[in-house]
Amino acid sequence: MKIKIFAFALGLFLCINVISAQTGDLLIKNATVLTVTKGTRENTDIWVQNGKISRIDRNIPAPKGVRVIDATGMYVMPGIIDAHSHIAIDAVNEATAPNTAEVNVGDALDPLDVSIYRALAGGTTISHAMHGSANAIGGQCQTIKHRYGTTDPAQLRMEGAPRTIKFALGENPMRVHGEGNKISPNTRMGVEQIFRKAFSAAQLYMKAWDDYKKGLTKVAPAYNLRMETIADILKGNIIIHCHSYRADEILMLMNVLRDYGINKICFQHVNEGFKVAPELAKFGATASVFADWWAYKFEVYYSTAYNAAILTRNGVVTSINSDSGELIRHLYHEAAKTQRYGDLTDDEALALITINPAIQLGIDKRVGSIEVGKDADFAIFNNHPLSIYAVPQMTIVDGIVRFDIKNDPEDIRVDIDPKEKYATYYEDLRNHEYYGCMSGVMELFMEESYASYLRYIYSKNHTH
Amino acid sequence: MSDIRILNDNHSFSRWIRSLLLMPAVFLSLAMAGQNSDEPAELSRVFFLKNCTVVRQPGVTLSGQSVIIRNGLIEDVGPNLKIPFNAQVVDTDSMFVYAGFIDAFSNTGIAKPEQKERPKVQDPDNPPMDVAGITPQIMAADLYKPNDKSVGEMRAAGFTMSHVAPRGLMLPGRSALMSLGEGEADRMVVRKSVAQTGQFASTRGVYPSTVIAVIAKFRELFRNAANAGAHEELYKTNPAGINRPEYSKEVLALYPLTKKQESMYFIAPKVKDLHRALALRDELGFNMILAEVKQGWTLMDRIQKTNTPVLLSVELPDEDKKADKKDKKEEAKPEEVKKEEKEEKKEKEAESKDAKSPEQESFDTKKAQALKEYVSQAAEFEKKGIAFGFSFLDVKPGDIKKNIRRMMDHGLSEKAALSALTTYPAALLGVASSAGTIEKGKLANLVITDKSYFDEKSVVRYVFVDGRKYEYNDKAKKKSEDTKQDNVKSIAGKWSYEVEVPGQSSAGTMRVSKEAGNYKILVANENEPSKEREATDVSVEGNKLSFRLEVDMNNFPLKLDFNLTMDTKNFSGSVSVGQFGSFPVKGELIDGPDMKL
Repeated sequence: MKIKIFAFALGLFLCINVISAQTGDLLIKNATVLTVTKGTRENTDIWVQNGKISRIDRNIPAPKGVRVIDATGMYVMPGIIDAHSHIAIDAVNEATAPNTAEVNVGDALDPLDVSIYRALAGGTTISHAMHGSANAIGGQCQTIKHRYGTTDPAQLRMEGAPRTIKFALGENPMRVHGEGNKISPNTRMGVEQIFRKAFSAAQLYMKAWDDYKKGLTKVAPAYNLRMETIADILKGNIIIHCHSYRADEILMLMNVLRDYGINKICFQHVNEGFKVAPELAKFGATASVFADWWAYKFEVYYSTAYNAAILTRNGVVTSINSDSGELIRHLYHEAAKTQRYGDLTDDEALALITINPAIQLGIDKRVGSIEVGKDADFAIFNNHPLSIYAVPQMTIVDGIVRFDIKNDPEDIRVDIDPKEKYATYYEDLRNHEYYGCMSGVMELFMEESYASYLRYIYSKNHTH
Repeated sequence: MSDIRILNDNHSFSRWIRSLLLMPAVFLSLAMAGQNSDEPAELSRVFFLKNCTVVRQPGVTLSGQSVIIRNGLIEDVGPNLKIPFNAQVVDTDSMFVYAGFIDAFSNTGIAKPEQKERPKVQDPDNPPMDVAGITPQIMAADLYKPNDKSVGEMRAAGFTMSHVAPRGLMLPGRSALMSLGEGEADRMVVRKSVAQTGQFASTRGVYPSTVIAVIAKFRELFRNAANAGAHEELYKTNPAGINRPEYSKEVLALYPLTKKQESMYFIAPKVKDLHRALALRDELGFNMILAEVKQGWTLMDRIQKTNTPVLLSVELPDEDKKADKKDKKEEAKPEEVKKEEKEEKKEKEAESKDAKSPEQESFDTKKAQALKEYVSQAAEFEKKGIAFGFSFLDVKPGDIKKNIRRMMDHGLSEKAALSALTTYPAALLGVASSAGTIEKGKLANLVITDKSYFDEKSVVRYVFVDGRKYEYNDKAKKKSEDTKQDNVKSIAGKWSYEVEVPGQSSAGTMRVSKEAGNYKILVANENEPSKEREATDVSVEGNKLSFRLEVDMNNFPLKLDFNLTMDTKNFSGSVSVGQFGSFPVKGELIDGPDMKL
């Protein structure tokens, strides 16, 4: 058995090597470099080799044959990281059960989604492609790099990023399963029991397999991918990202996790996080919030634009996310709002969309700041990115220029259906519903005509 | 006595079918009568194909050849053969003889499932296996219907064997290799069980409802199949101290796949399907053949490196209509041209409003490029040195040659095209020693065309399946005769019809009209002249008219398929009534097309 596991791991390792992504060499000259973690450096050059930052200094001589980007008068910041989005995936919600831990949106990555390019046009180089919030325990998520241009889904995967999974509290799982399917959870109490049941069952499942491996039983237990996944959470191999709004529920989930010895958790949306900021900090939970977005359903009325600042000042690692194919294009505006509401410093505000989401996704050793040895992911702006006059000029992923405002083709799609009658901007109208947490859910419970009407409404108003 | 009275009293067509159901004896005799009339006049099972050009295998063409067929096999092939005394001589002078084409993957002969209401599922997370689309235990050979329309159509297109997959969702079942002859389904089986089939397809509302759940389910089933198989084997050797294995026909059907004793044909048309399918294969480790590939040019390296067998789709996106129109205009009648010009003018007006839009311009350029890529796929594979076959899930049999010719216009060689139709599938399906080329001792599966098959104007004249001859009319000749008669006018109008059944007949009227380029057919029985039923699937080809009529008898739905040969004043043909067989039908023109419908 052990040999098998080793062979399997080796196989995975080999796979990763085979599909290693395209990387580039670059020299960025004479920029104002916002490192986020190591201060701001004027008139500075960044040398990139094989997609990694190899030197940050003044007057680096241009190596032969390497592309030089003159960034005089421009600002270079780490590529923006969005800890909550639903772009570039072909399925968001497997809404058929309150627990679908085994599904993984990483299996349905869509490299052809033009939203990736739009995100790049807003300086966003990494996003956390998430399962939706229809189920208390949704599916696993995938951290992706915006390597737009490829047709191979595996190229989007951020190799080596830790596994993450979507949980959801409150109205969404109650509405889908309680109201929709007339099963538990129909109340917030029921949601808690979904977690407790899943963790307890997974403990028994792990024991059954341990007994088999020890030779105490002769026949292998039935293999259950759902249980396997929950077991991996119990073992600490998966970071939970939980859709949440109300303070009482946030405390509830921390209590549940404490009971099962789980400590890797990032609360998503967490609009009432400001009420329980010390508790979050004490638990070691992190928070990913909107700058100023609320009141789209009953449980999201008690909110404040000071949320990010309060959480930050209480020592909670906080990020600002998009949860939208549109907001993902101007997260730098969203971060700047925390200076109006909460007086965060430049570095604190920028950390909300760089190093902090990197910590929440477990990729902060690789990205999130401009430091030697880190991935060469940058967003280059004509003004300071927290200025309202900032316009992204160039976005770089692994040393490859993936967006350049001076070379922005009319039609950037990777895949064209020769049968399709209309161009991109029409397609967008059709696809926009995919980018909300509840996409693909409500039509499960109603007539098709009404469902298509609802899809239209969803495309106009996001629901989170 | 009373039985006869029922027959005589009820002239309604639907009524007598119901009475058929009630009377096994009558039904039996009818069915037998039907079978007898279907039997072709086969004088001898020895044929002599005289003075033809034989394409022995892709790239080897010999003229001045003869072929002797005896009892289903090729007895001899070569120049100067002696005509056996009892042979039917087939006049194949100057015609081209090819090994019968082999369809490497399709749903030929597998009826589309009835549109059923979605079953009420108690627990959407745990639906019955068949509702979830997990039916790997199903055998296509058991579902195959030799009299399905698709079988005749594929045969007419030159195909003599089909590798047939069941229809379904993620795991539709096991495929079979079938001979495309006529007769009982079991007698058509070449290989009862070829491989498993798979695809990323799901249904709404129950698990797995999305592609992510399909993939997760796949992983779990695969692991459990391996475990269940091992459990079963362990239990067989010594059951002491071991729980009895829980039997699951679905899970156990996948065990040979996990042991690589069986392969899986995976339907993966688009680029994302292809990457996902190959990722799943690499992760779980089983043998996969890619089928119905439409966007394979982006992963040729991956396919080549891993030696993955590949079947390219013969379905192609349509050419740009504007380009087509220009070609057709030369042949079209003056009034049609006028009409088209008007339409074009309208289109141009609509276009001119945003004609300057750079987005639209860029879109059109890219679209043209994309179309070219789809049509050039086969040529690219050939250039790259990857052998391939064809699959036929999405293409209409009538379009096969046209589409292969389009691939050839974009660089595919005749040799590679023919090998994709013959030797590649023969080898893939394990029948290379009996089919795929023309050799002594191989099956007498042949397709004979008046010119080279790949010529634009070639027509299939004969198809031999297991040594049985199927003859096809020279459509080109017929067509010119038909156009003289103006077949449009000759079909439209009010017709009488009479279905002949021994001891019983049914009559009524049939109104044919042409609206917006489509034929509309309304049929009424003489007992209920006011109740007209509209026919579906209307198709007119030359003087052949076929359509389907769906009738409902006390909630028992019946499909009546009419196949008629139309003349100016009368018609004849047959109507087939599902499993009850086929009956002759004839009729006369009552009123011309000018009458107001």
